[in-house]
Amino acid sequence: MSQETGRVQLPTPRAHLTSDRTRATLAVQSKFLAGAREFLVGEGFQELLPPTIGPVTDPGARGAKQVDIDYYGHRYKLMTSGILYKQASLLSFDKIFHVAPNVRLEPLETAVTHRHLVEFHQLDVEIGEGSREDALDIAERLTKHVVEYVLVHAQPELAVLGRDLEAFKQILAGPYGRRSHADVVADLQARGHAQEAGAEVDWEGEEIISRAAAHPFFITDYPKGSRGFYDKESTTEPGVLRNFDLIFPGGFGEMMSGSERESDYRNLVMRIRETGENPAKYDWYLTLAREGLPSSAGFGLGVERFTRFLCGLDAAWQASGYPKLPGDPRP
Amino acid sequence: MTDLHAPGFPRQQVAERARHGTASAFPEAAGYGTTMFGQGPPEPDVPLDAIDRTRLVPPVFVPRRLERLIDLGREPVVSDAELATTIGGFSAPLPVYVSAFGSTRVASGDLGQAVARQAGRLGIPMVIGENIVPVAGYGRMTETAPSSLLQRITEYAAAVPDGQGGVVVQQSTEDADAEVWNLVYSDPAVQPLLESGRLAFELKVGQGAKPGLGGMTLVPREKATALSAQYDLMDVFGAHSDAVLRCSSPGTFTDEILRHQIRLMRNNYPRCRVWVKLPPARDVGEAAAVAWAAGADAVGVDGAEGGTGWAPRAFLGHVGLPLAECLGRIDPQDHCLLVTGRIWEGARATKCLALGARAVGLGRAALAAVDEDPQSGLVNLVECLALEMRMLLSSLGKYEISELGREDLWSEERPGPR
Repeated sequence: MSQETGRVQLPTPRAHLTSDRTRATLAVQSKFLAGAREFLVGEGFQELLPPTIGPVTDPGARGAKQVDIDYYGHRYKLMTSGILYKQASLLSFDKIFHVAPNVRLEPLETAVTHRHLVEFHQLDVEIGEGSREDALDIAERLTKHVVEYVLVHAQPELAVLGRDLEAFKQILAGPYGRRSHADVVADLQARGHAQEAGAEVDWEGEEIISRAAAHPFFITDYPKGSRGFYDKESTTEPGVLRNFDLIFPGGFGEMMSGSERESDYRNLVMRIRETGENPAKYDWYLTLAREGLPSSAGFGLGVERFTRFLCGLDAAWQASGYPKLPGDPRP
Repeated sequence: MTDLHAPGFPRQQVAERARHGTASAFPEAAGYGTTMFGQGPPEPDVPLDAIDRTRLVPPVFVPRRLERLIDLGREPVVSDAELATTIGGFSAPLPVYVSAFGSTRVASGDLGQAVARQAGRLGIPMVIGENIVPVAGYGRMTETAPSSLLQRITEYAAAVPDGQGGVVVQQSTEDADAEVWNLVYSDPAVQPLLESGRLAFELKVGQGAKPGLGGMTLVPREKATALSAQYDLMDVFGAHSDAVLRCSSPGTFTDEILRHQIRLMRNNYPRCRVWVKLPPARDVGEAAAVAWAAGADAVGVDGAEGGTGWAPRAFLGHVGLPLAECLGRIDPQDHCLLVTGRIWEGARATKCLALGARAVGLGRAALAAVDEDPQSGLVNLVECLALEMRMLLSSLGKYEISELGREDLWSEERPGPR
């Protein structure tokens, strides 16, 4: 899983779809989603079907381009994340989840990170009136549950893949760790990696800390400016966001991102300006916020990345039947 | 030459330089031996401001020249004066770059491309301005008509020498809707610049010609409806006119918003340099300090003398600080300060550098030069400017452009120590 310098060579669609490893991987993925649904429904979550297009979507980060479509003469977007719709859906139900398709035209440099696909899916979870602690609790119990579920229900497929089940023990043993973003930055800098303090942990840094970890851990408290406008800023520590990422060991890196959400209209408008955008673009969402949105916390878990971990794969593209890497035209 | 006009700008002198290059730094050779030269009145069509009224004042004692003499083992000459510098993270052979032209129609066609080709040849950084994509599109899918933005990037990249220059793509508030930066950052055509560290994004906070306002263009009435969702449209010429004024928003900034927009740029585009363009506002010094503290690689300031685009008369005559005052209010310390505002020759450029700027931007001068000579006009203009800067630097007893300082200047307003 080392960083490659050249282009990733994908197999032909026929070779990929007829491979025993692909078949086993997609079967494990299906079991993982079944386990996730079992857990979330048991916790009282309502599954909803996500929208795939809208006038606006998550503005994104790190240079990922949204895909515009012509919607009866209006510029609409394919969803890059359903976050804004998740917040809105809490007007109907207290606790919801989606299994949502997302499309992000990632920068070409991400084609070799092993963790990026242009088209991917997220298991999106949102907890009305929830705190970050509530989201961390659900995140940890959910991921442990699906690992156990897959161990019980996908033994033959794991055998085909030759998966080392020791990795699963790291997930199931003990509570997940917690580290602040500032602590991770200091750790990376001490290891000789030039990680900026005010920025998202970069791809290489993420792989370094993932490889060094013995157990899963949450990175919390990202600096403002490194994440979307909907991640709530701490009221007691200005400039610090009430958010988190879940990092798995073994170089698999980030599995999910989440946060407490900003739902105050005035704060949302100011935060949108801080990302350089015109708030008019978010008219429908800001109208809902002006009328009142529930406070919430939640996360999005990358389905292909999590499958990559479950199956012990080299790259996330192997966990998709129709992988699309940045810049690579594929069916 | 087209019918391009620039009222109040020494268009004729720029055209001469575009045509004749370094020869224009001197009086006509034909007058040599028959004409007596000495200081006369300023040229009548060149308006004077505080920078023009300031004089560069060489000293008698020149310790820096002595050091250069020791290095060389001979007396230093003009050609030993070194102009190479870094501009907002890019290497450049002289402290000059091409600034953004705004959304005026003037730059959108062949002139813009001619500027791109010649700026590339010169190896100087080039900023590509606002509103090109939301109005004209990007054109990646339409092979027959790529957009002005993409064409200018491609022409520049094809001409620029290895290791020099860079392209800076500007974005204003409306551009953010069109996600210009994301488009450029993920475009295969831009990868060579990105991989060689020669791509920057410029956050446009304002411009010299109309500080406090956003971009303004005239659009045909039949196109106005399509733009009405995104822009404010004003029917200033009456219903009988075919032209409608399209106004952008200047964007709403506080120090917190500016700081976080810069941090977001650094986070989202880690392989790009970050430039910030400020208007000649009364708090320009404070805004520049915020931008540098947030990690901007360069802060550009348009003096009120600048501007290529459409602007209201009241703003051209009455709004914004003169460039000299901006330079007085900004303390760049070791940061990169870029300034524009009626720059076209070496003396004004050198004075701006002595007042704290790292480099100067050519706006109207670049357009007028390529309008005069689409093949070599900008190259000739810049070569003339470079020769003047070398002569001036050398006359001051200095041989590195970074050594210029306020001690090199004198004006009646600020006479300095006697």
